[in-house]
Amino acid sequence: MKKSRRIGSKIFMGVLMLFFYAPIIYTIFFSFNSGRSLTHFDGFSLQWYGKMFSDSNMLQAVFYTIVIAVIATAVSTIVGTITAIGLSKSHRILKLIVEQVNNFPLMNPDIVTAIGLLMLFSGLHASKGFVTMLLAHIMFCIPYVMLSVTPKLKSLDSNILEAAMDLGCTPMQALIKVIVPQIMPGVVSGALIAFTMSFDDFVISYFVTGNGVSNISILVYTMSKRVNPSINALSTLIIVIISVFLLLVNIVPSLYNKSKAKSAKG
Amino acid sequence: MKKRLIAATLLFGMLIPMLLMSGCGKKEVLKLYLPGEYLGDGVISGFEKAYNCKVIIENFDSNEMMYTKISAGDSYDVLIPSDYMIERLLKEDQLQKLDKSLITNIGNLAPEVTNLSFDPDNSYSVPYFWGNVGIVYTKNRVDLADLEKDGFGIFLNEKYKGNIYVYDSERDMFMCAFKTLGYSCNTENEDEIQEAYDWLVKIGKTMSPVYVTDEIIDNMLHEYEDLGIMYSGDAAYIISENPNLGYFVPESGTNRWFDAMVIPKNAANPELANKFINYMCTEKAARLNTQGVGYASPVASILKEMTSEDGDYFENEAYYPRTNANDELFHDSEYLRKRLSELWIKVKAASE
Amino acid sequence: MKSFRKMTYPYVVWISFIVVAPMFLILLYAFTKEGNAVMDFVFTLDNFKKFFVDSVFIDVLLRSLRVALVTTVLCILIGYPAGYFIAKSSEGVKMRWVLLITFPTWINMLVRTYAWVGILQDDGIVNNILSIIGVRSITLLHTEFAVILGMVYNFLPFMILQIYTALTKMDNSLLEAAADLGADRVRSFLKVTLPLSLPGVLSGITLVFLPAVSSFFIPKLLGGGQYVMVGNLIESQFLTSGDWNFGSAISLIMVIIIMISLYLTKKVDKTELTERRAN
Repeated sequence: MKKSRRIGSKIFMGVLMLFFYAPIIYTIFFSFNSGRSLTHFDGFSLQWYGKMFSDSNMLQAVFYTIVIAVIATAVSTIVGTITAIGLSKSHRILKLIVEQVNNFPLMNPDIVTAIGLLMLFSGLHASKGFVTMLLAHIMFCIPYVMLSVTPKLKSLDSNILEAAMDLGCTPMQALIKVIVPQIMPGVVSGALIAFTMSFDDFVISYFVTGNGVSNISILVYTMSKRVNPSINALSTLIIVIISVFLLLVNIVPSLYNKSKAKSAKG
Repeated sequence: MKKRLIAATLLFGMLIPMLLMSGCGKKEVLKLYLPGEYLGDGVISGFEKAYNCKVIIENFDSNEMMYTKISAGDSYDVLIPSDYMIERLLKEDQLQKLDKSLITNIGNLAPEVTNLSFDPDNSYSVPYFWGNVGIVYTKNRVDLADLEKDGFGIFLNEKYKGNIYVYDSERDMFMCAFKTLGYSCNTENEDEIQEAYDWLVKIGKTMSPVYVTDEIIDNMLHEYEDLGIMYSGDAAYIISENPNLGYFVPESGTNRWFDAMVIPKNAANPELANKFINYMCTEKAARLNTQGVGYASPVASILKEMTSEDGDYFENEAYYPRTNANDELFHDSEYLRKRLSELWIKVKAASE
Repeated sequence: MKSFRKMTYPYVVWISFIVVAPMFLILLYAFTKEGNAVMDFVFTLDNFKKFFVDSVFIDVLLRSLRVALVTTVLCILIGYPAGYFIAKSSEGVKMRWVLLITFPTWINMLVRTYAWVGILQDDGIVNNILSIIGVRSITLLHTEFAVILGMVYNFLPFMILQIYTALTKMDNSLLEAAADLGADRVRSFLKVTLPLSLPGVLSGITLVFLPAVSSFFIPKLLGGGQYVMVGNLIESQFLTSGDWNFGSAISLIMVIIIMISLYLTKKVDKTELTERRAN
């Protein structure tokens, strides 16, 4: 009985992974197509990789996408977490107001947020480009972090915090040593969502950028006029980079621990 | 751990300004804003080398998108919008006069593309690509006689039900309707608009069409459906790849269009912009552009070369836009723009 | 405790500048007439009248709500067991699952959606497999099925992560206590696990329903141009017809509808919490 349930859930997760990864495998597969088609495989070729590397616009877009996603994630995770904690101790009315305002970027269609920002930046005569895009990304990332952290704070036992302060912790120490560790899963998933949102954003970036600064989404959209498999090549490259990065993050610490254990033995 | 974090942050902080500066340097910069996939390979690098400058390229996917950004105050040196949009920009006094002393190659242009109604003496614009709108069809499944008999009316021919692509653009589809019904594609007559609307709704209700935009290029290349509306340049490209495809322009008339280079009033570097326009009129640049993109070149000698026996578009019926008294240019009309856009949503929503 | 409150002030300044100000601009456009000049304020309700008088616009709105609702329900049905499974995995495996779920979302959404276009195409993989089995090929692309598939695909990871987060912080001793008190698995799930994971489900709903209802890229690519949703309607107002005023009005109508649904969600959250406390 228990075994069959376990097998059942394994099959379920397997099918789910197939669903998630089918388009990705598809993208990788067709990046090696010698033709332009996305349904017919004409033969193996690396020509789209060559095209990609000779396209400076494409490489620049990748760079901007990554830099903006990293900075936006870092800033929004820190600010979002701090604000969420502060808010949990704030007056009801302030809490309500901030929550409501926070909902705007979450629930507005991207295009509305984009138009609003466009009007704002134009009104301020800001030169559009890297900075405006970064500000916009930080703006829509913070609410996601807060959305992810706040439920964690809600279920936090406030007695622990008081106990910590009774035991002589300063508020800052209590914050870092007591609250943050407890809400860490929320912070991490908030950061993950923020990164994803920033990395993937198209509409808002499209409207608030300028001066030749574009991200991958904008590139894909404006290149999609004719199916351009170098986009697939680019995606494949990103997949490889992320995989290598994740492997390193997962493997290096365990190797490090092993060597440490060895040297301790020796 | 903390130290590593700080080091990483510092590294990042240094990287960004470095990259931003490497983009600028001391070279002159030209900011170009044009439709996606509209440049031949090597054209820009050729210009950059010849004038020792850096070109920043931005793409738009519709004239309206470009207009939104321009009206928000974004500054570019050269834009490449379509005829009706140039008319609108001129009306709003957003463009500056070209410096003809710098554009010496303007004499290379074909007579069909100069002195057009939206800019009668080319004081503000120099054509970049031109073409018309027609029907792309698969030769083995569509009877040419049907096309000749019905024109755009073939979209109501039951034979092709469920196998047609409608282009998702109110401007172009209403043009098809107006032309089939014998009206001008710039009409503001409410009865005529209503009639065209009914015509389009009928297609949506009875012919189960699929509404697509640029996907049609790839989809027709692979013959997923029998026929669809397409711009001549895109048709020329897919016909050169797949000989089973044909291009037909109805006798009742169609839209003839021109995309042209203009310099906005707020351009940062108008001199380089004029030089850029001049460079695009050289045979070398025009050849690379038309070979890479498939749209008709504005340069007379290149048009000849491409359609000659060893040209890329020899006997390609879509490449060289025809001259026909029934063909028209679009004009800028705020009323029509809003009215058609509103009706188009209804056409699509009513479609089954 | 009070010292924590100060931590919110910078953010309050920030949002009033970058969130409230743009919203105010949109409000201004929705209630004014014509032209891009914000200067001539002519107050009008015409933009709203236009929307509600025409059944077409209402139909589009209803369709968007329906599609978003179906997407959300599917995401809960698939996402809950998945989140539950991950939360119940052993510590080391957990993080790996989370990464596996998050990973696809790092590949550009547009690229992944284009991949689905290829997969669902008339001569794509799915139909090829069907024809090998001997089933006649079916039209998958440009149907409502394709739109919902694309939405579930894009938004499901958010639901799974939210549910997982809620479940993983759950105190397992509660379940043991329930078992000690004689509750069977189903009962303890319904009485302990489900209520405790509800906040996660609710924030998951927010993360799925909101982008789904306003999405314009997925319906455009997978549903074809005839598949108009509110997002497409707004997009065309801003990008094609240039009627910013009407576009702002539609946005505002949608914002209000969404605000109501959020309010209802909050209410569920609250009653659930108070009930739990009462128990």
